[in-house]
Amino acid sequence: MKYLTTGFVVENLNIACGIFKAVITVPEIAHSCSPGQFVNIYFPGSARIFPRPFSIAGVDGDQICLIYKVIGTQTMEMSHWKPDESIKILGPLGNSFPLPKSDEKVILLAGGVGAAPLMFLRDEMVKKGIKPDFLLGAQTKSELPFQSDKMSNLVIATDDGSMGIQGFVTKTLFKALAKRGEATTIYACGPDSMMKALKNKVISDKVTVYVSLEKTMACGLGLCQGCIVTNTAGKSHKPYSLVCKDGPVFNINDVGFND
Amino acid sequence: MIDLSVNLGKNLVLSNPVMTASGTFGYGDELADILDINRFGGIVTKSLSMEPRQGNPAPRIIETPSGMINSIGLANIGLEAFLREKKQFLSHLKCKVIVNIAAKTEDEFCEVIRQLDHEEWIAGYEINVSCPNVKEGGIAFGTDPNTLKHLTKNIRDITDQYLIFKLTPNVTDIVRMAKIVEDNGADAVSLINTVYGSAINIDTRRPEINSVIGGLSGPAIKPIALANIIKVYGSINIPIIGIGGIVNGEDVVEFLLAGASAVQIGTVNFMNPFALNEILEFLPKYLNGHHFDAIGQITGVLEK
Repeated sequence: MKYLTTGFVVENLNIACGIFKAVITVPEIAHSCSPGQFVNIYFPGSARIFPRPFSIAGVDGDQICLIYKVIGTQTMEMSHWKPDESIKILGPLGNSFPLPKSDEKVILLAGGVGAAPLMFLRDEMVKKGIKPDFLLGAQTKSELPFQSDKMSNLVIATDDGSMGIQGFVTKTLFKALAKRGEATTIYACGPDSMMKALKNKVISDKVTVYVSLEKTMACGLGLCQGCIVTNTAGKSHKPYSLVCKDGPVFNINDVGFND
Repeated sequence: MIDLSVNLGKNLVLSNPVMTASGTFGYGDELADILDINRFGGIVTKSLSMEPRQGNPAPRIIETPSGMINSIGLANIGLEAFLREKKQFLSHLKCKVIVNIAAKTEDEFCEVIRQLDHEEWIAGYEINVSCPNVKEGGIAFGTDPNTLKHLTKNIRDITDQYLIFKLTPNVTDIVRMAKIVEDNGADAVSLINTVYGSAINIDTRRPEINSVIGGLSGPAIKPIALANIIKVYGSINIPIIGIGGIVNGEDVVEFLLAGASAVQIGTVNFMNPFALNEILEFLPKYLNGHHFDAIGQITGVLEK
């Protein structure tokens, strides 16, 4: 069930350089969403017409949390949200992360605000008694959505070495995987370059990788067929999958990153 | 009591003038959670072809000022799956269901129609002769007068069903095209399909959509749509279904005043899935306030 409804801003905090955390009261969505799912935020005016999709970064009672980076006029408008402000919101949309098999090691791999859906997933894992490794990367310390985390084994990597390990967070992942022989499920969300690196380098029967993807969407519902990604699942005859409806979560073996 | 129903002739009566535009509403089932689809006067399904079509590669859409450009390429599930998977849902709707048909050849158009013609739940066909995003068929049918004449005549010969021809604004003289389909048996025209448009990423120096040139829709094209409706109204005697950038009730009234008997809303379904509800609230208020008691009374009453 999807709900198109009005949410109310509880708080909207600037948590890192250009990165905000908004908490929104929207009971219908908060009570029915799962990690990996997203919401559409609608904006007044008709200069820019698409709603904007955001992964749900956490749930607390009647509230959901969004972590977003200001990159255009719509996210700039969001950054000005004040408590009690009403917003038009549709969700929960898309599929969700499959949970790991109980005996598997879990690694959450995030690039910048790609941490958002993985924070919600982490919360659910903690409830099930799993403490995942959380590998979080950003260009620089000030752009990390968070710098400490009690609920996971957090490892930070920054491109400029201003905090944690210097270099891409994928490098940290590959080193960790090389040491281990055990079955591992990786949940990843980040820039396209990170997804491509994962697809090319993580080739092992023991490692399962789920990625949460982002594409330009018009509707978020499967109506416009705009947000396609190449479908590389062997069994299917469908050449494309829709990120909004078939995803945003995919097994990395089922998607191509060449377009 | 204000009467919102519209009679499009040949026994096609809609409970109100608002339909969905093809390609912006899937097959209706995706929105069933959040919207009472039966409140539409009618829905027009995603373009249907004989065989499934994969559609165009990415990127397929880009947001542009007050609009969007798409190049989906008529991706659809094909006739067989349409009847197998969508008939159950569509045939139980109370609103009228118009099936939009897009084909590569005249024979394909006729074959799809032959196979749909005994489906009594279908209220009419909208013939897509105006898609700018496919290499074969599409807009080629709607830009050449002789091709359009031939196609219209041949489709009319094989079916008694209500026939709407969806016209493109990407022609020198849309009035001529409208007259051709009227003269050869169309029951209505719908206009406009998308306007040729493009957008370029200056960093990559690549086009923002796969086909370089795609179809522009949304509020940006509303004035173009209105101009085309005004041109066509008065030149033909069959109803016009107005399409192009409608986002609210005021826009619907403008389209009706320009000469449309009904309208389709498309891109706004992405911007505001509740647009229909807002439109249906506005229309009776407008009519009341301007001392009309039926929506049909305002079609074409543009004071010049």
